[in-house]
Amino acid sequence: MAKPGRGAYPILFLTVVVLVSVVALTLIDGITSERILEAQADEVKQMLGSLFPSLDSYELSNDTGRYAVLEDGSRIGIAFMTQAIGYGGPIDILVGLGPDHTLRGIRIISQQETPGLGARIVETGFLDQYVGLAVDDLALRKDGGSVDAITGATISSTAVTDRLREAILEMIEEGGDGP
Amino acid sequence: MNQWMKALTNGIVRANPTFILLLGLCPTLAVSTSVDNAFGMTASVLFVLLAANVIVSLLRKWIPDRVRIPTFIVIIATLVTIVDLALKAFVPPLSKSLGMYVPLIVVNCIILGRAEAFASKNSTWHSVADAIGMSIGFGVAILLVSFFRQLLGSGSIEAFNVRLFSIPGLADNPAAIFLLPMGAFFVIGILLALFRWLGVSECE
Repeated sequence: MAKPGRGAYPILFLTVVVLVSVVALTLIDGITSERILEAQADEVKQMLGSLFPSLDSYELSNDTGRYAVLEDGSRIGIAFMTQAIGYGGPIDILVGLGPDHTLRGIRIISQQETPGLGARIVETGFLDQYVGLAVDDLALRKDGGSVDAITGATISSTAVTDRLREAILEMIEEGGDGP
Repeated sequence: MNQWMKALTNGIVRANPTFILLLGLCPTLAVSTSVDNAFGMTASVLFVLLAANVIVSLLRKWIPDRVRIPTFIVIIATLVTIVDLALKAFVPPLSKSLGMYVPLIVVNCIILGRAEAFASKNSTWHSVADAIGMSIGFGVAILLVSFFRQLLGSGSIEAFNVRLFSIPGLADNPAAIFLLPMGAFFVIGILLALFRWLGVSECE
């Protein structure tokens, strides 16, 4: 078959290819979009569940961006995202607070710290230190707090700890919404 | 059949896309930090390359020469978007760790290169063999690189949450440099030198 290469044919051909592509992608998007939202919601629920094992459900407040964590319909805690600036870039942290603004724990959602050094902030050994801490304890040990920095990763450890303290203080200052 | 096998094996050794053609180095360098990532990337590339080769070879008599590159890109971009959405919907953890590099398959030279150099000139049947061979070649290469990076960088090999083995002294104090971008260059450079020395990659 001869390939007509002149006139309007190339334009028409490419238009048809693009149209077919648009139709195919619309179909695929229809199939996957619901699953993608579900997967994201599952991920949030799983992460909140690891901070609050007794959680039944959670509600996202659209005004403050905070999650109210519920058990049997009553609020047992509050969780929110905050961002620290580490050595390698932003560190996204999920913070879980119990009554009296004590920490129920934190999870690192994303980070770009140096593997083997700063990236060790995701390890349970480091994260478990935060469980049960009050705002006043939230500082590295050398600054009078009760958090041990990771050896060789003082900047990453400080970034996370200081950001947590500031974020919780900001929340207390705003008032309201505390559990 | 003989021709078919030839097209298949071509991509694995003689024209290995990574070690001999030096195509598609960006994902090989970037996502080879763990064996899991390497498998995920290989599967994505296999799907896109196979589908792109089939579609391009079926349309090869109708694709006008003057718009062939835009046509290839539209086809490839559509396929990549499908993979990206499917990964996000069905295997979110893998989608997260491959991150930016799934959308970047669009500009992976292996796929455009095979569409231009092979699928647009050969039958669909042979293009299937070419796609499978090239994907295996790419997969072997990225697995090899990620195996050494994970082994040296974290001291142990874990695939799909199963710890296969670990090196005693190294697991406690791994050479994290191999997980950093420069580690990828070290590993791939040494492997390239090794293959050249062994005489595997003498063709131009």
